[in-house]
Amino acid sequence: MRSFLALLKSNRQFASGVVLLALVAAFACLSFFSPYPPNDSFVVAPDVPPSAEYWFGTTSRGQELFWLLTFAIRNTLVFGIVVAVLSRLLALLVGLVAGYAGGWIDRLLMSINDTFIVIPLFPILVLFYFVLKDHMSWGLLALMMACLGWSYDARLIRSVALSLRHREFTETGIFSGMSTRQILVEEHLPYVLPIVFSTTMNNINWSIGLEVTLSVLGFTDINTPTIGVMIYWANQHTALVAGIWWWIFFPVLLVVMTFIGLFLLAVSMNEYIDPRSRLGRSER
Amino acid sequence: MSVLAVDGLRAYYRTSALGVSRDVRAVDGISFTVEAGEIYGLAGESSSGKTTLIKTIAAATQPPLEVVAGTITFNFPTGPIEMQRADRRSLAPIRWRHLSYIMQGSMSVLNPVRRIRHAFVDFAFRHIGQPKSQFFDTVRAHLARLRLEPDVLDAYPHQLSGGMRQRVTIALATVCRPEFIIADEPTTALDVVVQKDVLAMIREIQRELGSSILFVTHDMAVHANLADRLGIMYGGRLVEEGRTADLFRSPRHPYTAHLIASLPRVGDTAPKAGLSGAPPNLADPPAGCRFHPRCPRASEICRREVPPLEPLATGHRVACFHPEPA
Repeated sequence: MRSFLALLKSNRQFASGVVLLALVAAFACLSFFSPYPPNDSFVVAPDVPPSAEYWFGTTSRGQELFWLLTFAIRNTLVFGIVVAVLSRLLALLVGLVAGYAGGWIDRLLMSINDTFIVIPLFPILVLFYFVLKDHMSWGLLALMMACLGWSYDARLIRSVALSLRHREFTETGIFSGMSTRQILVEEHLPYVLPIVFSTTMNNINWSIGLEVTLSVLGFTDINTPTIGVMIYWANQHTALVAGIWWWIFFPVLLVVMTFIGLFLLAVSMNEYIDPRSRLGRSER
Repeated sequence: MSVLAVDGLRAYYRTSALGVSRDVRAVDGISFTVEAGEIYGLAGESSSGKTTLIKTIAAATQPPLEVVAGTITFNFPTGPIEMQRADRRSLAPIRWRHLSYIMQGSMSVLNPVRRIRHAFVDFAFRHIGQPKSQFFDTVRAHLARLRLEPDVLDAYPHQLSGGMRQRVTIALATVCRPEFIIADEPTTALDVVVQKDVLAMIREIQRELGSSILFVTHDMAVHANLADRLGIMYGGRLVEEGRTADLFRSPRHPYTAHLIASLPRVGDTAPKAGLSGAPPNLADPPAGCRFHPRCPRASEICRREVPPLEPLATGHRVACFHPEPA
């Protein structure tokens, strides 16, 4: 905790990332205090520009943008985190096992892995939408993207695990009778965690970006408010043509804040987690 | 009874690629014993099979390395165990508790992203049979024996100096008071001053625990300081074995003789004669004695037949048809 505060002071990238994400997260938490359920429409006067009464204005569907946006950003963030966590678990499992086991296990896992790398994601996701139509839900999309988003990282983790396999601490571990699971979890996992942490941020960014793209085009469950779905509805009501700029501006502003915050964390996180570079800095 | 008896051991790296199978005969017919409380030094140049031999002895073999013939028997207080056919389950109670291993390049035995205390927990805790709190008391007492502060436990490996790291790895290997310690070049990466300290410490710990050590290095000076008995390996075979003093004073095998003659001595300014040629290719070793292409004393029989390792004097065995005069 003390090193967290020290980092906040010394590393400007980290500090701005934390501040941006804290703002976004605080905003998402406000959804629990919303006076309206997210899917109710025509609860306020439509098309009111931002004012003292309605801070972010209201939509053409008669929703107050401020409260709607709290739900949207919450769903978007949770979506990104769920995808990142699930795909990280897959990537760690595949990468560590493939790198450690080697031989045919490695070849099998990596051929599956490479298949996922070359699959074009966007058409597949659109295809799934057309197959599932109304069954398409938020959770299902998260699961699908997690299943599609682990492969690059699994390769990265495998490449590290390959070199760890032949380090003396691995061989000493084997010699002292540690099981394969213990070696992977206790010796190798801490070593790859910094890499995983920094790619987690990138993965959240990636999944939010893809979700927004799909939603804007209407290829997701359009009844759960997310940032993408909000933009979708704004487009449906030709908000920009009608001059309702705030309907597009605030969701985009919020998602850009999220992106920049996550990116800054990703670049500064590595330094924080790796004990060697942390020490190098504190001695300076 | 000997703590370790190796008999007729052959361990080959067996590979087959594209239908061509290839045996690298890294250990080819080695027999020797190590007595209780003894430091047995194993010397030889690179690619002479030292590391392969001790990996086999420790049952740390992985494909393509496999034991083709021979036996490796440890006689521990818990009973004898034959390493070449022991499985995971029968090895588990032996490891670390009775037999421990200081790996080659032991500077990196410690995981760089974990604190030292985790290394002790990961490698030694499950073997020592003590509850956690008592275990750390034991570890701290043991570290003190190696003149290390107890707070190294909370350090990361990169925060320690090379010599300290080396002492930590020695502490790791000896904390369970094993009867037998295999040390593979534990001092190679250190400068001579630190090396001297570390060797003295190994000796001290060994005397205190009464363990046997199988000590491997190509550094003859280290052997001269540490080993009670010395075995010289060449091309996957043991070519000479004897008490360290005897070996240094009157080497009988031509290879050993050249090895000893090549060591610098104080006041000796004569240029050192080198041997021509290179160590044999163990995938396709020369017939007969493996040293004969480089040997100045080689004759017809050396090209045809393998010289047996036979005693020339008490406790001094040589594998040569034409040994150097004593």
